[in-house]
Amino acid sequence: MKSKCDSPSRGKRRLKRTLSILTILLGLYVAVHRAGADQSALNSVPTRLAELLKQHCDQCHNGDSRSGGLDLTALSFDPADRAVREQWIRIHDRVEKGEMPPKSAGFPAARRAEFLKLLSARLHAADSAEIVAFGRGPMRRLNRDEYEQNLRDLLQLPHLDIRDLLPADREAHHFNKVSDTLDMSRVQLMAYLDAAEAALQQAMVKTAQPPVAMKYRAVGKQLSFVRAITGEKQSMFFARNSVGIDSNEKGEEADPTVEMVLCRSPGWPYAVFPKKLVTPAAGAYRVRFSARAVLQQPGFKLAPATLPVPMTFRSRRPTNHDIAEDVKSVGGILDIQPNAQPGVGVYETIVQLGAGQTIEYGLLGLPVPQPDARGITGAYRFPPFPEGGQPGIAFQWMEVEGPLAPESWPPASHHVLFDDLGVEVKSANPAQDAKRLLRRFINLAARQPLPEEAVAKFEQLTLSRLNNGATLAEALLSGYKAFLCSDLFLYLREPARATEQFAVVNRLSHFLTDTRPDAALTELARQGKLRNVAVLRRETDRLIAGEGFERFVTHFTDYWLSLRDLRRDDPDIRLYPEYRLDDYLVESMGLETRAFFTAMVRENLPATTLVDADFTFVNDRLSRHYDLPPLAGSALRKVSLPKDSPYGGLLTQAAILKITSNGVATSPVLRGAWVMDRLLGQPPSPPPPSVPAVEPDIRGAKSMRDLLALHTKSATCASCHARFDPVGLALENFDVMGRWRTRYRGLETGERISGIDRSGHDFSYTVAGAVDAGGQLADGREFNDVHALKAIFKANPRQLARNLLQQFTVYATGTPVRFADRREIESILDTCSKNDYRVGDLLRALVQSKIFLGQNGLVKKGVTK
Amino acid sequence: MNIRTSSSHFSRRTLLRGLGISLALPALECMTPAFARATETPRRMLLIANNIGVLPKHFFPQGTGRNYEASPLLSILAPHREDFTVFSGLSHPNVTSGHSTDNCFLTSARGAFKAGFRNTISLDQFAAEKLGQVTRFASFNLGVNIEKANRSLSWTRDGVLLPAEDSATALYQKMFVQGDAAAVQQQLRRLEERGSILDTLRDEANRFSRNLGATDKARMDQYFTSVREVEQRLAIAREWEQRPLPKATQPAPTPIQEGKYFFEKFELMLDMAQLAFESDSTRIVTLMLDAFWTPIFKLGGQQDTTESYHGLSHHGQNEKKLRQLEAADRQHMAVLNKLMTSLANKSEGGERLLDRTMVLYGSNMGEANIHDNTNLPIILAGGGFKHGRHIAFSRNHNTPLCNLFVTMLQRMGIETDSFGSSTGSLTGLSQA
Repeated sequence: MKSKCDSPSRGKRRLKRTLSILTILLGLYVAVHRAGADQSALNSVPTRLAELLKQHCDQCHNGDSRSGGLDLTALSFDPADRAVREQWIRIHDRVEKGEMPPKSAGFPAARRAEFLKLLSARLHAADSAEIVAFGRGPMRRLNRDEYEQNLRDLLQLPHLDIRDLLPADREAHHFNKVSDTLDMSRVQLMAYLDAAEAALQQAMVKTAQPPVAMKYRAVGKQLSFVRAITGEKQSMFFARNSVGIDSNEKGEEADPTVEMVLCRSPGWPYAVFPKKLVTPAAGAYRVRFSARAVLQQPGFKLAPATLPVPMTFRSRRPTNHDIAEDVKSVGGILDIQPNAQPGVGVYETIVQLGAGQTIEYGLLGLPVPQPDARGITGAYRFPPFPEGGQPGIAFQWMEVEGPLAPESWPPASHHVLFDDLGVEVKSANPAQDAKRLLRRFINLAARQPLPEEAVAKFEQLTLSRLNNGATLAEALLSGYKAFLCSDLFLYLREPARATEQFAVVNRLSHFLTDTRPDAALTELARQGKLRNVAVLRRETDRLIAGEGFERFVTHFTDYWLSLRDLRRDDPDIRLYPEYRLDDYLVESMGLETRAFFTAMVRENLPATTLVDADFTFVNDRLSRHYDLPPLAGSALRKVSLPKDSPYGGLLTQAAILKITSNGVATSPVLRGAWVMDRLLGQPPSPPPPSVPAVEPDIRGAKSMRDLLALHTKSATCASCHARFDPVGLALENFDVMGRWRTRYRGLETGERISGIDRSGHDFSYTVAGAVDAGGQLADGREFNDVHALKAIFKANPRQLARNLLQQFTVYATGTPVRFADRREIESILDTCSKNDYRVGDLLRALVQSKIFLGQNGLVKKGVTK
Repeated sequence: MNIRTSSSHFSRRTLLRGLGISLALPALECMTPAFARATETPRRMLLIANNIGVLPKHFFPQGTGRNYEASPLLSILAPHREDFTVFSGLSHPNVTSGHSTDNCFLTSARGAFKAGFRNTISLDQFAAEKLGQVTRFASFNLGVNIEKANRSLSWTRDGVLLPAEDSATALYQKMFVQGDAAAVQQQLRRLEERGSILDTLRDEANRFSRNLGATDKARMDQYFTSVREVEQRLAIAREWEQRPLPKATQPAPTPIQEGKYFFEKFELMLDMAQLAFESDSTRIVTLMLDAFWTPIFKLGGQQDTTESYHGLSHHGQNEKKLRQLEAADRQHMAVLNKLMTSLANKSEGGERLLDRTMVLYGSNMGEANIHDNTNLPIILAGGGFKHGRHIAFSRNHNTPLCNLFVTMLQRMGIETDSFGSSTGSLTGLSQA
C-alpha cells in the first residue's frame, strides 16, 4: 500500500517550506512584541501608577536584570485579562506585605498607600466586572463524600457505602471542594455509573419477607474462636473464680463459670472473635454481653479494676490472623466498668455488619505484643505489668441477634424506588406506572424543580427500555441510574440570578451538612424566602445545631487541618517506645481537635481560640498525655486547663503537632510553615527546587537549632525562612506526638534510658540536649517560649479571623477568595471585630454575603416575595 | 500488510515441558484483532509476587550501578544481566503487618489491622482502568497454591478482593473456548443498557448547555468528552463480546492440583501468561505465588521439603532449613531466567516480546524469618528500560516501591505522576 506522503524528498521539501514560514512569523512576532513592550506596556499603566513603578520598581524589574523573574517593562496593564491580572495581584500583595520594594526606606508609607490604592482600584474593578459577566466561579461537581451522602439521604440508606467506588477527588487550596479541580473524566463517569448502580441495587429488595434473624449465644470458652493468641498467655486466657485455668482442660465448652480474659489491644497478628459467629446477611445486629474490667495479677489471677477499660467491636470476616482486610470500628466505644463479681455488668450496642462477617474484640489502649525482632519464630514477650496489675476485660457471655428487621417491609428505600408496587414491582399498566414513578423519583432526587423538557429525556429512556422487553423495575432503574449520573444531579450551580433560590439552598446545605437540602430548606426555597436576613440566619443556625453538621466538622478539619493524615506516620519505635501501636491515643487526638472546632463554631468562640484557650476536650488517655488530673472513661469532656498549661488552642493540640511532624523528629521548618499557612493564612512561597530538606540528627549530637542556622546565614534562605522557622522553633517543646518535653531524645549521645515497650520489645534511647524554644519573628518581636508566641498571635485576631473566612469561602463556594471579594471580607471583619471576631459570627456573616449568595445578595429589608 | 509467516516464527512454541502438553502458537499478529492493533506499540506488564520472599543475604548484590557484583541468586540470571534491573531499599511505607501485607503488595494500603483499614486499588486494576478495554480481557489475576477467598494481588478501587484464577485449564478455556451464548447475550444486554443511558446523558447535557455561560460551558465540555469516551469504550467492549476467540490448535493443559508441585504450577502459570500476551488476550497479568499457603513441596522436581514453605521461612538460622530455602530461592530464579529467555526469543513487530513486557518479580517480605516488611527484594525485567544495573536506595529510609509503579505506569503509556504511596517516579530508571 502506498501512502500519499511516502516519498522522502517530497516530505522534506514540505518540512523546509513550513520551517521557513515559521521563521518569518516568529521574527515578525518578536519585532511587534518588542515594540509593544517598550512603548505600550508601561504606557498603558495609569499615569500616576506608572510614575511610582518607574521610581521604585523599574531599577530591578526591567528587561535586563529581571529580578525575581519579573520584567515590569514587558508586563502589559490589562486587568481584564485574567493571567495578567493575577500577576498584578501578586505585585500588589508583595507591596502590601512590605516585602517589596526590599528597602522600604525609599518608599514612604504614604506613597505605598497611594500605590496600593491606585492599583487595587483597577484590579477590583476588573475582577468585579468579570464576576458580573461570568459569575464568581464555574459550576461544581459533587465530590465523592457529597455524592455518597446525597444518595444516603435520597435512598434512605444511612449506611450506604459507595464512596470508595469513586476515584479520590483532587485537592486544591487544601480542599476537595474546588470547582476548578473537580474534573470529569471517562474513569470518573464510569465510576459514577457503577456507584449509582450499586446504590440502587442496595435500595431495592427482592424477597417477600425480611431475612430471618439469627440468634447467637456464647458462654465461657465459646467467647473466642481461638484458645490462645499470640502475645503470651497474659494477653488472653480463660479463668474460673478469678483464677486462670488450662485452656485445654476437658469439660463443657459452654461452662458459664468460665470467663474469657483479654488484656491486649488488636494488632498483627490477632484474631479474637466469638466462635462460630458469622452474619447470614448484611444489616444491623444487636449485641448484648456481660463483662467486667479487671486487673490481671501475676499467676493469672484477677482483681477488680479501679478504672473502666474502654473497648469497641471491629467488624471483619472470621479469617485467620494473616489476612489483611476491611476492619471497621462498629457500635461505638463502650467503657467496661470494674466489678468484683462476674455477670453484673451487662452492655448492649447495635453494630452494622456485612454478610459473612463477625465482630472482633477491640480493647483500647492496652499492650500490643509483637513478634520478636531478634529472629526467633513465634517469640513474644508480654510487657511488664503496670503497678497494681494489667488492666483488661473479662467476658462472661454474649448474645447477638440480627439482622434486625426494618420498621416496614419492603423497607423505606424500596418505597423510594417503587412506591407501593411491592417487592415484585407489579403493575397493571406498566407504561403509566413507569411515567408516574420516574417523575416521582426525579422529584425526590433533583435538588431543584426541573423543566418538563429535562424530565422527558429520562422518560424516553425508561419507556424505550420497557418497549424493548425490560421489566418495569429494570426500565425504571435505567432511568434512575441515568438521572443520578446526569449533569442535573452531579453539579451544583452558582447562584447567579436574583431570583435564584435553589442554588443558594444547595450551597448552604452542601456547606454545612455536605448533602442535599432537607425538606424544610427546600420548602423555603420554593417559597422564595431564603434571601431574607432573618430566615437565612435561622436556617444557618438550625444546620449548625443539627446532626449533619458533624459531617462539616469532619470533612472541613480533614482537609483544612489534614486530620485525615493523622495516622500517616507512626512514631519511631526506637525513640518513642511509649507510643508504640497506641492507636487509642491517636484516635483520641483526632476526637479532641474535632470537638474543639465544633465548640468554636457552636459556642461562637473568638477566633483567637485557634491559638490559645483556657479549656480543651480530653478523655482518660489524653488527660495522661497532657499531664492533667486523670480522668476515667473514653468520653471526651470539656476541662479547664491550669494557667501554665501549654495545651490551650488548636495550635498546640496533639493532633496538630503529630500531623506536622514525621514520627521520627519534629521539624521547625515544616511546623512553622504549616502553622503560617493553615492557621495564620500566610502561606510561605514554595521552597526552591534544588535545595534538600534539613535532615534531623537522630544520634542526638546536634540540635535542630544548629542545623537551622544554615537558613539564617544565607540571605536568600533567610528572606523566607525568617517568617516561619521561628514559629516552628517555639513549638520544639512538643515531641512528635505533641507531648511536652524539655530535652530531645537521641540514640547515641546523652543519658541512656532502657526498658521494655508496649509490644514487649527492649528499647534504649538517650536523653540529649535541652530544648530552646525561644526566637525572634521576622518583624523583630521576640519570644522565649510557646506561651509568648501565642500572645503574639493573639495580638492580631483580625488575621486569624481573615484566615478562617478564607478557608470557609473555599469550602462553601468552591472558589477561593477573589480580589473583588476582598472588600467584602474586610467589611465582614469590621462587623465582627466589635465582638472579638467570633467564629460562628464569621461563618454566619459569610453566608449572608455576596460571596456566598451571588451578586444580588440579600433581599432588602421589607421586601418579601 | 505485514504478516510474517516464516516457519521459524511458527516453530517457536511454548512447550509445557514435563506435562506432556505442547501448544503450537500462531504468529502474534494473526491473533490480534485489527481494531486493537491499529494503535501504538502494545505495552504489557506481568506482576509476580512471592509472598514469602527470598533470603536477603543471597539476593542483594554488592556494589551499585552497572558494575554491581551479582549475588549467588542473581548470578542465575546472568544470561539476562542486560535485561533486568535489581533494586534495593524499596518498600511500602507503613505497610508492616508481616504476612498479611501480601494483599497490599500492589496497593500500598497502610494500616492493616487498625480500625478503619480498607484496601485500595491495585496497580493492575489502576492500569486496566486507565488503559480501557484495548484487549478482550482487561487483566488476568493468577495464583499458585493461593488461598483464593482471602488473598489476592488484585483489588478494586473500593478495596474488594478480586479472586485469583488458579486453574490453568480454566484460563485456557477463557482465552480460547467460546463461552455459552446466554452469558454473551446477557453481557450484551448490559452493555446495551449502558449505551442507552449514555445517549440520554448526552441529550440532557446538550439541553442543559444551551443556557450556560462560558466558564460553565468549559466544565460541561469535560462532561461531554467523558460521555463520548465511555461510549467509545462500550462500543469496543461490545465488539470484543461478539468476536470469536483466537484459535488454539492444541488441547488444553492438564491441570496440576497438588500443592506440592509448586514450581511446576509456577511455570505452567507463566506459560499461560505468555499465551495471553501472544494472543493479545490481555496485556496485564498478576501472579501471586502463595508460598505462605504452600504445604511441603518438591524441590528441583525431586525431593520433598521437610516442612511447609512458611515453616521453612522461619529458619532461625537452622542449617537444614536454610539449605532447603536456598534451593527454593535458586529455583525461583531459574524459572525467572527461563521466562526471560522465552520472552526474549519471541518477537512482535520486529521487537523482542520481552522489550514490550515489563516483568516485575518481588515480595512483600524483606526477611520472612523475622517478619520484616522493609528492604523488599525487587527485580524488574524487560519492558524497554535501560537495564543491567543495581539501583540502590537507602536501607534505613526506604524509597516507596510505588515510585517504581509510577514509572511502570508511565511506561504503559498512562499519564500519571502518582500511585498509592508514591512520592514521584523512580529516580535512576530510564527507558531504553
